[in-house]
Amino acid sequence: MRKRVLLTSAVLAGGAFLTAAVAQEQLPTHLKELLELGMHPGHAYVDEGREMFHTPGPNGKSCATCHGQDGAGVNGRLNLQGAYAKMPRYYKDIDRVADIDTRILACMTKYMGYDKKDKKFMKQFKKWSGPYRVPLASYVASLSNGMKIDVKLDDPQEKELYKMGEKLWYMRVGARDFSCGICHTVLAGKRIRLQGLPDPVKNKVYAHWPAYRFGSDRMWTMEDRVRSCFKAYLLYTKQWSKKDWVKKPPPFSDWVIALELYMKHAANGAIIEVPGLLR
Amino acid sequence: MKKIVLAGAFVGLGLLVACQPAAQKAEAPKAEKKAEKKKLSSKEKFKIALANQDKWQKACSNPTQLVPEGIDIETFKKEMLATVKFPEGGVVGKNIARGEKLFGDPKKGGKSRRGNCYACHCGDPKIIACGNIGPSLRGYGKRGIDPKETYIRIYNSWAQNPCSVMPRLGYHGVLKPEEIADIVAYMHDPNSPLNK
Ligand code: HEC
Ligand code: HEC
Repeated sequence: MRKRVLLTSAVLAGGAFLTAAVAQEQLPTHLKELLELGMHPGHAYVDEGREMFHTPGPNGKSCATCHGQDGAGVNGRLNLQGAYAKMPRYYKDIDRVADIDTRILACMTKYMGYDKKDKKFMKQFKKWSGPYRVPLASYVASLSNGMKIDVKLDDPQEKELYKMGEKLWYMRVGARDFSCGICHTVLAGKRIRLQGLPDPVKNKVYAHWPAYRFGSDRMWTMEDRVRSCFKAYLLYTKQWSKKDWVKKPPPFSDWVIALELYMKHAANGAIIEVPGLLR
Repeated sequence: MKKIVLAGAFVGLGLLVACQPAAQKAEAPKAEKKAEKKKLSSKEKFKIALANQDKWQKACSNPTQLVPEGIDIETFKKEMLATVKFPEGGVVGKNIARGEKLFGDPKKGGKSRRGNCYACHCGDPKIIACGNIGPSLRGYGKRGIDPKETYIRIYNSWAQNPCSVMPRLGYHGVLKPEEIADIVAYMHDPNSPLNK
């Protein structure tokens, strides 16, 4: 962990000389160089996740108990290689469509003895820097590296959530009259101040999520990304008038998963390469 | 952060409390507050917030995003124009310095994300951290545009261009009428860096 932070600040110091007027690119040169050197700060999370994957929970079972050493499956079942390529999808055991964050939470609470009502555990789980969600998501996602995203909409719940995601994408709400689509479909390629606006749908960005972001010096899952865009841009924490402006949708909620399903379905066919590395 | 969240919670509480029948209102306000706070989960809050979408936002929520559906454009504009409130002192304010600050000069403390015009527009040539979403406002005051038009554009851009990506800053109360008037003054002032 400590190594990761040091490395990052060194590179950031170097990157501070970016000329202000140039739109900031997704992957500036100093990050490309890092990759070429084989120094990807996100790999620390994957390693942490691998360790957690083999660590027993309160009832003595670890992820590996059901999914096999390194997620290779047990007797050919519950193999996790390629699982992430199909997420979010419907899971019968929990009767809902789950993204990777939600699926991991379900496995831990349903099969490993962790308790959803245990506030301390839930806090640790939701936390960006916690030992569970982000490292495990990074690790499990990395087991699908090199495979094609293949989200199907076979189940009625998947179809319904997809529709909801598409609707939310274009839904203009809040004190800024924005929607995801305003910034990422209509204005894609433009600059908001100096920040270039990506097109997550057309450019199949899901192939590089979860991603390590230099600006914040940590790994983000797509849950984190979607919820942050809501909080930062769509609506505001400040109450300008009587109306209750939208903040972030709660974690693991259908709103978040619906948007993920919408974006990941659009990314079908793209080759997974995680963790991504963003500025 | 914490302060904002708290403030938000209190505004929410205020509304809730106001909706309580009088009898309930009278008893132990502290306990009630606690109970109310618990009652509204983040899920419910988010739901309410989405439900607060107004009819014009709804009309602009189709995949084109920029053309209203279900309301014809002239009616849309008329309805939006009817929401515009004008300040008592006229549309050109007196406090040009405040206008500049609200316009968003980051060097002058204009990082208040209320005006934040530079997020989308360039203007003062000295400010290079500006977006290219809206047209450049360099020399804006020299174009012979009626300041009233400028005022309406900032108060409610949808009165002129339905579904524009420019937020309706006055309509939503992000900026007060007097503040918008000061921005107008800044934009039309011949000595403003925009116009030099
Ligand atoms: C007002 C602008 C704005 C709005 C509205 C907005 N975003 Fe973003 N979004 C951004 C910016 C800025 C970035 C960061 C780009 C970067 O880091 O280079 C971003 C990044 C992203 C990314 C990562 C793209 C990549 O290249 O990997 C995704 C995915 C995303 N947003 C989804 C959403 C969703 C879903 C919504 C709606 C809930 C939304 N955004 C609303 C501005 C916005
Ligand atoms: C999120 C983007 C955004 C923000 C923030 C924004 N604008 Fe705009 N603005 C636009 C766009 C896009 C247009 C182009 C016309 C349209 O779509 O309404 C525009 C047009 C204008 C025009 C008309 C320009 C012309 O050539 O006729 C004025 C004046 C203007 N904006 C002023 C402001 C001011 C002042 C602020 C801040 C208080 C501001 N804008 C904030 C996006 C924005």
